[in-house]
Amino acid sequence: MTALALLFTLSAIGISETVYLIRKRLASERPVCPIGDSCTLVLSSRYSKIFVIPNDVLGLLFYIMASFVSGFLVIGIEPLESWTFTFAFLVAAGTLLSLFFTYLQWRVIKAWCFWCVMSACTIWLMGVILVASIILKL
Amino acid sequence: MKKTSFHFLRVGLAITFLWIGVLIFKNPEAWGGYLQPWAAGLLPVPLAQALIGTAILDITIGALLLIDVLTWLAALVGAIHIVIVLTVSGITDITVRDIGLLVAALALMIDALPEWVLHKINRPKISN
Repeated sequence: MTALALLFTLSAIGISETVYLIRKRLASERPVCPIGDSCTLVLSSRYSKIFVIPNDVLGLLFYIMASFVSGFLVIGIEPLESWTFTFAFLVAAGTLLSLFFTYLQWRVIKAWCFWCVMSACTIWLMGVILVASIILKL
Repeated sequence: MKKTSFHFLRVGLAITFLWIGVLIFKNPEAWGGYLQPWAAGLLPVPLAQALIGTAILDITIGALLLIDVLTWLAALVGAIHIVIVLTVSGITDITVRDIGLLVAALALMIDALPEWVLHKINRPKISN
Protein backbone atom coordinates (compact mmCIF):
# COMPACT_ATOMS: atom_id res chain seq x y z
CA MET A 1 0.00 0.00 0.00
CA THR A 2 2.81 2.41 0.92
CA ALA A 3 4.67 1.52 -2.28
CA LEU A 4 1.50 2.07 -4.32
CA ALA A 5 0.94 5.44 -2.65
CA LEU A 6 4.47 6.50 -3.61
CA LEU A 7 4.10 5.15 -7.15
CA PHE A 8 0.78 6.95 -7.55
CA THR A 9 2.33 10.19 -6.25
CA LEU A 10 5.28 9.93 -8.65
CA SER A 11 2.90 9.22 -11.56
CA ALA A 12 0.88 12.33 -10.67
CA ILE A 13 4.05 14.45 -10.54
CA GLY A 14 4.97 13.05 -13.95
CA ILE A 15 1.54 13.95 -15.36
CA SER A 16 1.82 17.57 -14.18
CA GLU A 17 5.34 17.85 -15.60
CA THR A 18 4.52 16.41 -19.04
CA VAL A 19 1.30 18.44 -19.31
CA TYR A 20 3.41 21.56 -18.63
CA LEU A 21 5.86 20.62 -21.39
CA ILE A 22 3.07 19.81 -23.87
CA ARG A 23 1.34 23.13 -23.19
CA LYS A 24 4.59 25.05 -23.66
CA ARG A 25 5.32 23.21 -26.91
CA LEU A 26 1.81 23.82 -28.29
CA ALA A 27 2.06 27.51 -27.37
CA SER A 28 5.55 27.68 -28.94
CA GLU A 29 6.92 29.01 -25.66
CA ARG A 30 10.18 28.17 -23.92
CA PRO A 31 9.73 26.12 -20.76
CA VAL A 32 11.28 27.43 -17.57
CA CYS A 33 14.71 25.85 -17.20
CA PRO A 34 15.50 26.01 -13.45
CA ILE A 35 18.96 24.44 -13.78
CA GLY A 36 21.11 25.16 -16.83
CA ASP A 37 19.86 26.72 -20.05
CA SER A 38 19.85 23.81 -22.47
CA CYS A 39 16.20 22.74 -22.15
CA THR A 40 15.18 24.28 -25.48
CA LEU A 41 18.18 22.73 -27.23
CA VAL A 42 17.21 19.24 -26.06
CA LEU A 43 13.45 19.66 -26.44
CA SER A 44 13.76 20.95 -30.01
CA SER A 45 16.36 18.41 -31.11
CA ARG A 46 15.60 15.70 -33.67
CA TYR A 47 15.48 13.21 -30.79
CA SER A 48 12.45 14.89 -29.19
CA LYS A 49 10.12 12.55 -31.10
CA ILE A 50 9.86 8.81 -31.58
CA PHE A 51 8.60 8.48 -35.18
CA VAL A 52 5.88 11.15 -35.11
CA ILE A 53 4.98 11.04 -31.41
CA PRO A 54 6.62 13.73 -29.26
CA ASN A 55 8.39 12.35 -26.19
CA ASP A 56 6.30 14.53 -23.85
CA VAL A 57 3.12 12.86 -25.16
CA LEU A 58 4.69 9.42 -24.70
CA GLY A 59 5.66 10.42 -21.16
CA LEU A 60 2.15 11.66 -20.41
CA LEU A 61 0.64 8.38 -21.67
CA PHE A 62 3.12 6.43 -19.54
CA TYR A 63 2.31 8.40 -16.38
CA ILE A 64 -1.46 8.25 -16.98
CA MET A 65 -1.29 4.47 -17.42
CA ALA A 66 0.94 4.15 -14.34
CA SER A 67 -1.45 6.21 -12.19
CA PHE A 68 -4.49 4.26 -13.40
CA VAL A 69 -2.84 0.88 -12.84
CA SER A 70 -1.59 1.84 -9.35
CA GLY A 71 -5.09 3.15 -8.58
CA PHE A 72 -6.64 -0.14 -9.78
CA LEU A 73 -4.21 -2.08 -7.58
CA VAL A 74 -5.14 0.01 -4.53
CA ILE A 75 -8.87 -0.30 -5.15
CA GLY A 76 -8.45 -4.03 -5.79
CA ILE A 77 -9.88 -4.26 -9.30
CA GLU A 78 -9.33 -7.78 -10.65
CA PRO A 79 -7.23 -9.32 -12.18
CA LEU A 80 -4.59 -8.02 -9.74
CA GLU A 81 -1.81 -10.25 -11.12
CA SER A 82 -2.29 -8.84 -14.62
CA TRP A 83 -2.23 -5.25 -13.31
CA THR A 84 0.93 -5.96 -11.33
CA PHE A 85 2.58 -7.45 -14.41
CA THR A 86 1.41 -4.51 -16.57
CA PHE A 87 2.82 -2.06 -14.03
CA ALA A 88 6.17 -3.86 -13.85
CA PHE A 89 6.36 -4.02 -17.65
CA LEU A 90 5.50 -0.31 -17.96
CA VAL A 91 8.13 0.76 -15.44
CA ALA A 92 10.76 -1.55 -16.98
CA ALA A 93 10.09 -0.14 -20.47
CA GLY A 94 10.07 3.41 -19.11
CA THR A 95 13.35 2.84 -17.26
CA LEU A 96 15.08 1.55 -20.40
CA LEU A 97 13.73 4.36 -22.55
CA SER A 98 14.81 6.93 -19.94
CA LEU A 99 18.31 5.44 -19.91
CA PHE A 100 18.42 5.79 -23.69
CA PHE A 101 17.26 9.43 -23.57
CA THR A 102 19.77 10.24 -20.83
CA TYR A 103 22.52 8.71 -22.97
CA LEU A 104 21.37 10.86 -25.92
CA GLN A 105 21.61 14.01 -23.78
CA TRP A 106 25.01 13.02 -22.42
CA ARG A 107 26.78 11.75 -25.53
CA VAL A 108 24.86 12.82 -28.63
CA ILE A 109 23.15 16.18 -27.98
CA LYS A 110 25.76 17.06 -25.33
CA ALA A 111 23.26 19.18 -23.42
CA TRP A 112 21.07 18.56 -20.41
CA CYS A 113 17.38 19.32 -20.06
CA PHE A 114 16.14 19.75 -16.48
CA TRP A 115 12.66 18.39 -17.23
CA CYS A 116 13.99 15.34 -19.11
CA VAL A 117 16.41 14.47 -16.30
CA MET A 118 13.66 14.99 -13.71
CA SER A 119 11.32 12.69 -15.65
CA ALA A 120 14.06 10.07 -15.97
CA CYS A 121 14.75 10.25 -12.21
CA THR A 122 11.00 9.94 -11.51
CA ILE A 123 10.79 6.76 -13.58
CA TRP A 124 13.98 5.30 -12.07
CA LEU A 125 12.65 6.04 -8.59
CA MET A 126 9.44 4.22 -9.54
CA GLY A 127 11.59 1.27 -10.61
CA VAL A 128 13.51 1.30 -7.32
CA ILE A 129 10.28 1.42 -5.29
CA LEU A 130 8.75 -1.40 -7.35
CA VAL A 131 11.83 -3.64 -6.99
CA ALA A 132 12.10 -2.85 -3.25
CA SER A 133 8.42 -3.68 -2.69
CA ILE A 134 8.83 -7.01 -4.55
CA ILE A 135 11.96 -7.89 -2.52
CA LEU A 136 10.23 -7.01 0.76
CA LYS A 137 7.29 -9.28 -0.17
CA LEU A 138 9.60 -12.28 -0.75
CA MET B 1 2.22 34.02 -4.80
CA LYS B 2 5.45 33.23 -6.61
CA LYS B 3 4.97 30.99 -9.65
CA THR B 4 7.06 28.10 -8.32
CA SER B 5 5.37 27.99 -4.92
CA PHE B 6 1.97 28.16 -6.65
CA HIS B 7 2.77 25.06 -8.71
CA PHE B 8 4.16 23.19 -5.69
CA LEU B 9 0.93 23.89 -3.82
CA ARG B 10 -1.22 23.01 -6.86
CA VAL B 11 0.44 19.64 -7.50
CA GLY B 12 0.57 18.78 -3.79
CA LEU B 13 -3.11 19.50 -3.31
CA ALA B 14 -3.96 17.66 -6.54
CA ILE B 15 -2.21 14.51 -5.31
CA THR B 16 -4.05 14.76 -1.97
CA PHE B 17 -7.47 14.98 -3.64
CA LEU B 18 -6.65 12.20 -6.13
CA TRP B 19 -5.34 9.85 -3.47
CA ILE B 20 -8.28 10.45 -1.13
CA GLY B 21 -10.60 9.72 -4.08
CA VAL B 22 -8.83 6.43 -4.77
CA LEU B 23 -8.95 5.45 -1.07
CA ILE B 24 -12.69 6.20 -0.86
CA PHE B 25 -13.25 4.04 -3.96
CA LYS B 26 -11.35 1.23 -2.21
CA ASN B 27 -13.68 1.16 0.78
CA PRO B 28 -16.60 3.61 0.65
CA GLU B 29 -18.45 2.12 3.62
CA ALA B 30 -15.45 2.61 5.92
CA TRP B 31 -15.26 6.29 4.99
CA GLY B 32 -18.96 6.59 5.78
CA GLY B 33 -18.00 6.02 9.41
CA TYR B 34 -16.64 9.57 9.55
CA LEU B 35 -20.12 10.97 8.94
CA GLN B 36 -22.10 12.23 11.94
CA PRO B 37 -25.43 10.33 12.34
CA TRP B 38 -27.47 13.51 11.69
CA ALA B 39 -25.60 14.06 8.41
CA ALA B 40 -25.97 10.42 7.32
CA GLY B 41 -29.73 10.76 7.93
CA LEU B 42 -29.93 13.66 5.49
CA LEU B 43 -28.52 11.69 2.56
CA PRO B 44 -31.08 11.10 -0.25
CA VAL B 45 -29.09 8.09 -1.54
CA PRO B 46 -27.45 5.08 0.20
CA LEU B 47 -24.24 5.93 2.07
CA ALA B 48 -21.98 3.90 -0.25
CA GLN B 49 -23.38 5.65 -3.33
CA ALA B 50 -22.90 9.08 -1.73
CA LEU B 51 -19.30 8.21 -0.89
CA ILE B 52 -18.63 6.99 -4.45
CA GLY B 53 -19.99 10.33 -5.68
CA THR B 54 -17.57 12.03 -3.26
CA ALA B 55 -14.71 9.94 -4.63
CA ILE B 56 -15.57 10.97 -8.20
CA LEU B 57 -15.69 14.63 -7.11
CA ASP B 58 -12.34 14.32 -5.31
CA ILE B 59 -10.70 12.72 -8.36
CA THR B 60 -12.17 15.36 -10.70
CA ILE B 61 -10.88 18.19 -8.48
CA GLY B 62 -7.48 16.50 -8.25
CA ALA B 63 -7.24 15.93 -12.01
CA LEU B 64 -8.13 19.56 -12.82
CA LEU B 65 -5.58 20.84 -10.30
CA LEU B 66 -2.94 18.47 -11.64
CA ILE B 67 -3.26 19.53 -15.27
CA ASP B 68 -3.72 23.21 -14.31
CA VAL B 69 -7.08 23.60 -16.06
CA LEU B 70 -9.81 25.67 -14.35
CA THR B 71 -7.55 25.69 -11.32
CA TRP B 72 -9.47 28.45 -9.54
CA LEU B 73 -12.80 26.62 -9.97
CA ALA B 74 -11.33 23.27 -8.90
CA ALA B 75 -9.77 24.92 -5.82
CA LEU B 76 -13.06 26.70 -5.02
CA VAL B 77 -15.09 23.48 -5.29
CA GLY B 78 -12.36 21.73 -3.27
CA ALA B 79 -12.58 24.36 -0.53
CA ILE B 80 -16.40 24.12 -0.41
CA HIS B 81 -16.07 20.33 -0.34
CA ILE B 82 -13.67 20.51 2.63
CA VAL B 83 -16.03 22.90 4.48
CA ILE B 84 -18.83 20.33 4.00
CA VAL B 85 -16.51 17.54 5.20
CA LEU B 86 -15.63 19.59 8.30
CA THR B 87 -19.33 20.22 8.97
CA VAL B 88 -20.57 16.65 8.55
CA SER B 89 -17.67 14.88 10.25
CA GLY B 90 -17.55 17.02 13.39
CA ILE B 91 -14.43 17.81 15.41
CA THR B 92 -12.05 14.85 15.35
CA ASP B 93 -8.31 14.20 15.67
CA ILE B 94 -7.79 15.03 11.98
CA THR B 95 -9.85 18.24 11.89
CA VAL B 96 -6.71 20.35 12.05
CA ARG B 97 -5.38 18.67 8.90
CA ASP B 98 -8.60 19.49 7.06
CA ILE B 99 -8.23 23.12 8.12
CA GLY B 100 -4.75 23.14 6.58
CA LEU B 101 -6.13 21.69 3.35
CA LEU B 102 -8.99 24.20 3.34
CA VAL B 103 -6.64 27.17 3.67
CA ALA B 104 -4.32 25.72 1.00
CA ALA B 105 -7.28 25.35 -1.40
CA LEU B 106 -8.41 28.91 -0.66
CA ALA B 107 -4.89 30.27 -1.25
CA LEU B 108 -4.72 28.45 -4.56
CA MET B 109 -8.17 29.67 -5.59
CA ILE B 110 -7.36 33.30 -4.76
CA ASP B 111 -4.07 33.17 -6.64
CA ALA B 112 -5.56 31.48 -9.71
CA LEU B 113 -8.62 33.73 -10.09
CA PRO B 114 -8.99 34.74 -13.76
CA GLU B 115 -9.03 38.38 -14.83
CA TRP B 116 -12.78 38.49 -15.49
CA VAL B 117 -13.60 37.33 -11.96
CA LEU B 118 -11.14 39.83 -10.46
CA HIS B 119 -12.68 42.54 -12.62
CA LYS B 120 -16.15 41.69 -11.29
CA ILE B 121 -14.93 41.72 -7.69
CA ASN B 122 -13.02 44.99 -8.08
CA ARG B 123 -15.67 46.81 -10.15
CA PRO B 124 -16.03 50.32 -8.70
CA LYS B 125 -19.45 51.00 -7.16
CA ILE B 126 -21.40 53.82 -8.80
CA SER B 127 -22.72 56.23 -6.19
CA ASN B 128 -25.79 58.41 -6.72
